Amino acid sequence: MTQALATGADAIALRVAAVIDPVFALIDGWQQELERLLADDPEPRAADLDPAIASTVAAELDRAGTLITGAGFVAAPGYLADAPWHLAWWLSDANTFRPAPGGGIRRLEAVSDPDSEAFRDYTTLEWWRVPERTGTRHLTGPYVDYLCTDDYTVTVTTPVTVGGEMVGLVGADMYVARLEQVLLPVLREATQPCTVVNASGRIVASTDAHRATGALLRLEGLAEMLAPVRASGGAVAPTDAATLPGGATVVPCGDTSLALVVE
Amino acid sequence: MPNATTRADAARAVIFSPLEGAGRAELVEQRLTDAIVAGVLRDGERLPSEADLAKFLGVAPVTAREALVALRHKGLVRTRRGRDGGSFVTYDRDASTRMLEERVRALSRIELRDLSLHYAAIAGMAAEVAADRASDDDVQSLVEIDARADLATPGGARRAVGRFQLEVAAISQSPRLVHEELRLQAEAGALLWLCLRDQEYRDRSRESRLEVIDAIRAADSTSARVATTAHIGSAVEWLIDEKVRLEAASDSPIARHEGSSP
Repeated sequence: MTQALATGADAIALRVAAVIDPVFALIDGWQQELERLLADDPEPRAADLDPAIASTVAAELDRAGTLITGAGFVAAPGYLADAPWHLAWWLSDANTFRPAPGGGIRRLEAVSDPDSEAFRDYTTLEWWRVPERTGTRHLTGPYVDYLCTDDYTVTVTTPVTVGGEMVGLVGADMYVARLEQVLLPVLREATQPCTVVNASGRIVASTDAHRATGALLRLEGLAEMLAPVRASGGAVAPTDAATLPGGATVVPCGDTSLALVVE
Repeated sequence: MPNATTRADAARAVIFSPLEGAGRAELVEQRLTDAIVAGVLRDGERLPSEADLAKFLGVAPVTAREALVALRHKGLVRTRRGRDGGSFVTYDRDASTRMLEERVRALSRIELRDLSLHYAAIAGMAAEVAADRASDDDVQSLVEIDARADLATPGGARRAVGRFQLEVAAISQSPRLVHEELRLQAEAGALLWLCLRDQEYRDRSRESRLEVIDAIRAADSTSARVATTAHIGSAVEWLIDEKVRLEAASDSPIARHEGSSP
């Protein structure tokens, strides 16, 4: 009985991972492309880099059925000669934040003047802080992205490294509402109530309609079990399914840093 | 028995009322004034041309012109002619003090209390939900915002309050509360937190911030809301005292004498 459940849960956890993995693969590809490009550039400038980034991310942002709504490159402060603080971020026309009149992708207008009241130091935000600390990719959210679009978002980011130094990061945004739409049919195949949580135990999607997305799933022992994933920024995944004191099973969703909780 | 549903009628009346009740020029003027007072548009910054302004805001060019004339009259905008001409924001420390004091005088006590009540509804609810939804990392980011706060100046203390309230709203996981928090900060932040001119209130605002952090850490929703709304309540009581002081000063014979001297 327990064995059968674990197998079913394992399969669903893998399918949850399969929803997120293509987005990780996407940003890993951009990372490699950009690292190649920047390795040959003795004095990188935003003016030269931006068109290259736009054309890199445009194909995916324009693709019908894509999960992502925004993507781009964020530079380490002081890395680009002509732009000390720089966000080269594009939004797809699925993005409801001030859509472009004619459709198509458009640039996010960010405040890059540190003296401005509206300026935010992005290096203090989770999607920068964690990959900077761990040197590897990270899934942030669900969170309200007040720096960019005020939307309820999941962001994946990965560092871009040149000569052993992090010069910025590439990443992509997904709407949580869209993600929930994609994940729910997968979760509903389980015979028992199940919930996808992030490494903080925050609910991403649940078959139980009263488990609100964004709330913390407060089950005894869950936070402790997820602690190593949180500390490593997702680089370390709990490898096996484990059982909480209350009887719920926790299964890691591949190495996405998400976990499936079966109650 | 037709139209027994008066509540529905009231709702319909709101829906079908003109989109902009007040004069459009006044609305444009108010929006730009708020942006200048809040520091979104900064001293010396060039405003878009009349034609662009009209286009961005969706009003007639003559309306944009009217609003600019009013801003010029308030001393918030200066117009230069010639090739590098245009309308420029003029907003130094004196202008800032003058504008804020003018607004404190212009708004009634009822309006000031209503404003603070609206803000407390948003910020209080955000704190209540945040206490339930904050992860350890979220609490840590609140602690860091507090640690970075500059309490030595009114501007620094106000930025810290704004930054903190915004983070609390973000921790509530509600895009609408975040949006409303940002909007209210831009519209009324500078006015509402005028009390931070006093060192005593800057210290108190820190104490209340620590109280909110403790409540959120303890997942105590009620205490988080109460500490937040009490902080806003004390800010508006200061503001109303300030209004009384300003009115008394402008009514005094000395002030009238000074006002009429060349």
